[in-house]
Amino acid sequence: MIDGLMHLIGQVQGIVFENAIQPALYQLGLMDWAETIFDGLEIPLLGVLAIGVAYLLFRPLELWRPVERWAERRAVRTDVIYTVVHKLGLVPAIIFLMLTPIGAAIDGDLRFHGYIPPAIEQMLPALGAWPFVTFLVYIIVIDFGEYWRHRLQHRLPWWWALHSLHHDQRQMTLWSDDRNHVVDDVLAAVWAGTIAMLIGVTPGEFPLVMIVFRLIESLSHTNVRAGFGRVGGVLLVGPQYHRLHHAIEHASAPYDRARGCNFAVILPLWDVIFRTGRGERVFLPTGVAALDGPAVRCGYLRHQVEGFRRLGAAVAKLVSRRRPGFAAAFPAE
Amino acid sequence: MSIAAVFPSRTLRCVAAAALLFLGAATASAKTAIVLNSDDDSLSVIDGDTYKETSRVHIGRAPHHLMLTPDQHYLIIAMSEGNELVFIDRATGAIAKRVEVSDPYQIGFSPDGKWFVSNSLRLDRIDIFDAATFELKHRLPAATMPSHIAFSTDSKSVFVSLQGTEKVIGIDLASGATEWTTVVGRQPAGMWTDKAGNILVAVMGSDYVAELDPKTGSVLRHIVTGRGAHNFQTSPDGKQLYVSNRVAGSVSVLDPDTLAVTGLIQAPGGPDDMMFSPDGSQLWVTGRWRASVDVIEAASGALKATIPVGRSPHGIFLY
Repeated sequence: MIDGLMHLIGQVQGIVFENAIQPALYQLGLMDWAETIFDGLEIPLLGVLAIGVAYLLFRPLELWRPVERWAERRAVRTDVIYTVVHKLGLVPAIIFLMLTPIGAAIDGDLRFHGYIPPAIEQMLPALGAWPFVTFLVYIIVIDFGEYWRHRLQHRLPWWWALHSLHHDQRQMTLWSDDRNHVVDDVLAAVWAGTIAMLIGVTPGEFPLVMIVFRLIESLSHTNVRAGFGRVGGVLLVGPQYHRLHHAIEHASAPYDRARGCNFAVILPLWDVIFRTGRGERVFLPTGVAALDGPAVRCGYLRHQVEGFRRLGAAVAKLVSRRRPGFAAAFPAE
Repeated sequence: MSIAAVFPSRTLRCVAAAALLFLGAATASAKTAIVLNSDDDSLSVIDGDTYKETSRVHIGRAPHHLMLTPDQHYLIIAMSEGNELVFIDRATGAIAKRVEVSDPYQIGFSPDGKWFVSNSLRLDRIDIFDAATFELKHRLPAATMPSHIAFSTDSKSVFVSLQGTEKVIGIDLASGATEWTTVVGRQPAGMWTDKAGNILVAVMGSDYVAELDPKTGSVLRHIVTGRGAHNFQTSPDGKQLYVSNRVAGSVSVLDPDTLAVTGLIQAPGGPDDMMFSPDGSQLWVTGRWRASVDVIEAASGALKATIPVGRSPHGIFLY
């Protein structure tokens, strides 16, 4: 089924490229970019797939048993714009056109100097005969990296300044997964891409790995009164589990961002191992206590600018060697 | 004994599996095609009688091109991001050896078999090896995107298209010195040495083939073929020369003596590398954008079959 789906995406990719993009590249004298842009076209196509699947599967859940109902949904509409821009447009373009050549150059130089990144099947030879298991191992390893990236996002003041954009949403829905500052998304791509490169994930496999992450993250942000139960909740991050991470109480004493909980992205196992998991079966409001108002309930561009403002404030605090408190680092307007 | 036991590395194991499949298929079929799917890191084996892909095997990072050694004993598969050349023994289908080469994208042997040239499109380098020992003789910076390769008939010079520029460079193989660089047009790609010993360059950012004097690099004339002129192949009897036009989605047929265009074949999907069936009756063309291979009747230009393969199929070889 996955092969068939990827073949279909490949056909659409070819038709779009051949009929719309290649003629433009030819006219503009940019045919030396043809193969790079052809490869990059797969990202927005997979984004369409991820959005479609998430909407078809998770939107009915939100209609069925929502945790919260809102008369005013402007903040949700901002997250929809985030999803469209970040899955289909700006961010993939930045990541692909800027970072891919840099990554290729680093990769090439490493190889040129004799370091060929070991594939995970070379470390665990038995995996060679089980491609699906290998795929799962890729996801587990990258998820481990994502757990620690997430911990750092909450721990480092400058990174929290960016990540707080993701957390300041008080109307969390399936669209909120992409509510991230563009710089934060680029950092995330570098982080995951580096791990993927080091363990030998091939270029053809990486988008599929990312699709799995995107779908589970959409589900975990879904506004639905549901969890995976006592057993399932240990195996996979679900809406109830992740809502606790976004809960507004964590921004208030005695909790703070660094002492937050449920940092796992896919596997709650990491929270168990590193003692950051909480299992209360509650559905709390989301958001950051100290952050509200027009700078939070605003459109996409203003929210992005707000992220830079918070980053600037956090860096200024660091430079002045004053330890910022949670709210003091970037007070809301 | 399992393949895993014989070949501890994944790359070797996969290539071995591919080679064994390839050999098995070759014995059962009049002709077998292997296609390198550069974006999938895989190799497709195609039954030339049924036009079906019989297997697809993960092979190693970014396989783009493949070719026979001058003695025709080995088939070399170049894996650019895998930094290696894998030599498959044609008689047994087994891996004979592998050679570490930095990012081998396009590869070629000089006509006398003494020199082996490997271009790194990604790292802007041209490597010249002693073909007998694969000892690196010259490593030359080549800005930017050194792509296709042609040689002078006397095996003294190699000519490389610099796809990120408008230029072709001529290099003395023995000394590694630049003989000339010349402007031919936007994004030069495929290179070919014609019957007269002149150099043909497919100018991908335009619609023509440029003919160059191998001694001076001067442009002798342009032959209009089609938008996105990309690569060359000759028929086994040498009576036709074919040029794939990537943007136009066609293949032009040229008289190899006069370079006059004598025909046009439709081949949509980003036609790239071409290969003839052993009997010369069919032209097989990889379609980069549609993940397929077109089989075309050479005599009539009719499409015989379109075979789905992996993503971004590039190099092709018919057994």
